[in-house]
Amino acid sequence: MNKKTPYILIMPIVLLGVLFIYGLVNGIIQSFGYIPALDLGNFTLDYYIEILKDPTFIDSLKVSLKISIISSILAMVLGTILTTALVYTGHTEGKTLQIIKLAILIPHTIVALFSISLLSQNGLIARLFYNLGFISAQGDFPLLLYTENSLGIILGYLWKEVPFVAYFSLALMNSINKTLGEASENLGASRLKSFFYITLPLSMPAISKAFLIILTFSFGAYDLPFLLGATMPKALPVQAHLEYMHPDLRYRPYAMAMNGLILAVSWTMTGIYYLVKKKKGIKGDVHERY
Amino acid sequence: MSMKDTNSNIPLKLFLYLIAFTILAPLVILVLWTFTSRWPWPNLFPTSFSLRALEEVFAPYANLLPTLVSSILLSLTVALLSAIVGTMTARALVFYDFFGKGLIKLLTMAPNIVPGTVFAMGIHVVFIRMSLADTLVGVIIVHLIYTLPYSINIMRDLTSSIGQQMELQAYVLGASPLKSFIYITLPLLAPGVLASMNMAYITSFSQYFLTLLIGGGKIRTLSTLMVPFIAKGDRSIGSAYALIFVLSTLTIFIVMDRVIKRLSFRNKEENL
Amino acid sequence: MNFKRLSSILAIIIALLLIVGCSSQTPETPATEVPNETPSEANAESQEFDPNADFDTLVEQAKGSTVTFYGWGGDEDRNRWLNETVAPILKEKYDISLDVVGMNIDEILAKLSGEKQAGLEEGSIDIIWINGENFYSTKENDLLFGPFTDKLPNTKKYIDVNDKEVLYDFGYPIENYEAPYGKAQMVFINDSGVTDETPKNTDELLEYAKKYEGKVTYPALPDFTGSAFVRTLIYDIVGYEQFMDMQPDKAVVKEAIEPALEYLRELNKYLWNQGKTFPATSGEVDNMFQDGELVMTMSYEPYSVAKGIEKGIYNNSVRTFLFDKGTVGNTNYMAIAKNAPNKAGSMVAINEIISAEVQASQFEELRTLPVVSYDKLSSEEKARFDRVDLGQGVLPQDELLSKRLPEMPANLVPIIEEIWAEEVVGK
Repeated sequence: MNKKTPYILIMPIVLLGVLFIYGLVNGIIQSFGYIPALDLGNFTLDYYIEILKDPTFIDSLKVSLKISIISSILAMVLGTILTTALVYTGHTEGKTLQIIKLAILIPHTIVALFSISLLSQNGLIARLFYNLGFISAQGDFPLLLYTENSLGIILGYLWKEVPFVAYFSLALMNSINKTLGEASENLGASRLKSFFYITLPLSMPAISKAFLIILTFSFGAYDLPFLLGATMPKALPVQAHLEYMHPDLRYRPYAMAMNGLILAVSWTMTGIYYLVKKKKGIKGDVHERY
Repeated sequence: MSMKDTNSNIPLKLFLYLIAFTILAPLVILVLWTFTSRWPWPNLFPTSFSLRALEEVFAPYANLLPTLVSSILLSLTVALLSAIVGTMTARALVFYDFFGKGLIKLLTMAPNIVPGTVFAMGIHVVFIRMSLADTLVGVIIVHLIYTLPYSINIMRDLTSSIGQQMELQAYVLGASPLKSFIYITLPLLAPGVLASMNMAYITSFSQYFLTLLIGGGKIRTLSTLMVPFIAKGDRSIGSAYALIFVLSTLTIFIVMDRVIKRLSFRNKEENL
Repeated sequence: MNFKRLSSILAIIIALLLIVGCSSQTPETPATEVPNETPSEANAESQEFDPNADFDTLVEQAKGSTVTFYGWGGDEDRNRWLNETVAPILKEKYDISLDVVGMNIDEILAKLSGEKQAGLEEGSIDIIWINGENFYSTKENDLLFGPFTDKLPNTKKYIDVNDKEVLYDFGYPIENYEAPYGKAQMVFINDSGVTDETPKNTDELLEYAKKYEGKVTYPALPDFTGSAFVRTLIYDIVGYEQFMDMQPDKAVVKEAIEPALEYLRELNKYLWNQGKTFPATSGEVDNMFQDGELVMTMSYEPYSVAKGIEKGIYNNSVRTFLFDKGTVGNTNYMAIAKNAPNKAGSMVAINEIISAEVQASQFEELRTLPVVSYDKLSSEEKARFDRVDLGQGVLPQDELLSKRLPEMPANLVPIIEEIWAEEVVGK
């Protein structure tokens, strides 16, 4: 076909991409202390250095990594099972899928409301235990929210991300199952075998992409950790958000530098993801096969 | 599905029901809280009810209905644009080699990996200079940027799994490239288009910070109306808004589902 | 059919993106025109705007214009009052349309500083609901218009211009850059049906926490209410006077509040979850109190109990109490953005909001302590304020005002919040 075709096709994404990068650079510049409107005119790494020197930074980083890695791995595994369940029970459309979508469409702030209503020491589960005589006071119920174990945050993310992984990879797995999976079954392969050797590997691009999306998202989002997290140490995005809310505008570079560090970690995660993917080579990458 | 299939799927079915229950159960809380005024420990059900939340939410000063309608239109526009750009980009990435392909691939993931505040504050200044701040077009563009990673990825996987053979055949048989795309490939892509429109709609509909900063408060959406109440901890009004959020979105999804199915069916029929 | 539709949609998006793309090539051109709802007629007039003009001239200029009022949007009562009481008054008296926009103060600050950075001379924010550190920050960074309050007739008519809270906002000189809007004061809240005690000072509070172990806590700083609560405890222990001219130096502040830090650490032992962690927001603390998980809550709105009882979220036996030495109180204000599109209209609107009529309706409907000086009111106006039914479980205005302590200088507040995070949480 025409040689110009790809360039016409990518025109919108290029224009939007330019805007995106332009905006991003404009934001990042602020983290180096360059905001002329506030009489901050010198490029400096001081803000970064100061944050890195702060002992609470490492604690915050650990909390954030723990939340995002645990919740994303669990969500990927459970989400893949859910996709499989949807595909193999023939629920790729209709009511069941609408229920799955429900979880995706509910904003994180509302998920926090659910978590508090259900999981707190005052929540419905604690009340149920109390009424059943398992516990005698609110304090007896294990603390799932506001603690360093971050269990409530992880559960909150799982609630949203398991359906997301399923939804994100459903279209691909369904179409592979229809074309190749069923074909191999017709050729005599067992269901299990055709799933593990054909359908699942070929669905991996979507599943692993979904994993990367939720990993970086849960690392950088502040809603759930802010509302359900421990007072100390705070997750990194919460710390960044509080710095951003600092009323002194000349404090802004701190917030931006902290966001810059979140960005750096997210990019590192993405880099590792692509390295691992490259090492695994052609295996499972459907794009290169066609 | 045959009987045999159903039997071997029992564990999967149970898992599906478990997930469905886990998703639906908390929604009951939303409905209850919308009508609750007090629900003290250790009661399993609210002890007193009121219509306060609904009265506040539907009070004329809150402007709920106009805000809801414009909010839905905004997100539908974003969803449509996102699906179109997603389909275009996916085709380019799957079927062609071109200069800067690696960069575009990277770019399609980037918005996910950038903290919202950094981008929002940076693009805000750019948009003011371009006269796009405080405008609907400005908000549509930033929403679009945040929805594209989903659309492009969904469309890319599907495009590559469907392949180009059939479309090429039609082309060889004399149909124009665009025509063969629309009549052959697009119906096959329909589930992906639906999925990307859904994801884009949700992403746009729940944007709070970006909408507020780029829309400058002039562009009001259900999220900008709802979030302050949830943040303040008003469980009744927060739940009432959340319920409206959920119900309106579900309605839109069902409509989208029907429309896209009808379009792709009609295409197939015309094709026959 | 579909083919045509799709290609026209494609054409539209490409055109749209091209426009965006082209204009992005000339980003340095300052925006000359920003769409906003103000009629162009008013725009033309605002160019001749002169803050020193006769007030009648301003009223004339403001006629037919729109004033955009930015402030926090999470208070349904205030939203209703602004839209259903204040807006009709402004429309009727001055033909001004009031557009109330809900936005958090940190986003307002982000918007204003972004606009300044881009050199936008005419923004979209007219009036800002503001106080404390945010006022300090916006004024220091030249984001506010002023001085203007000295030009408002109602300032002379109703406001005591020698009042400390009219001269200083969190210790920072106002210099007529913001007009008072309403008064707030920290109050403590518990339920007489659950606990008899109303702690009168920090010692009694400690005893109270001991008695109801695990059922007292406060919002994690830097939550606004949590922060004010801790300042109230600090005042009770080390007094408030020394902070009024204290240097914003961490070591100095820390030394001054050391006895209070010790107290807070001692208090931790008896708090909810032993003070290892605190609820993130005052809303959450209040919800826990409503559900009976806590025996005490606190609010910066002195009449929140009455409103809570009326809404049915508090029991009828819930009541308000104070420390004998008092609690911190502040005034919140209205300022005008430096790049406000409608400064004349803003001044007219603010002038009206500080009138006895609007202040009285604010007291009646929202039970916000008025900013007008009682001595300056006519006997009819006095009677209207006296008649206000404050509702159940609250304290009379004079008791609140007699136990009102001044807020700390704005720049000490973040320092205390930082020290609290380091020295109190989990210690």
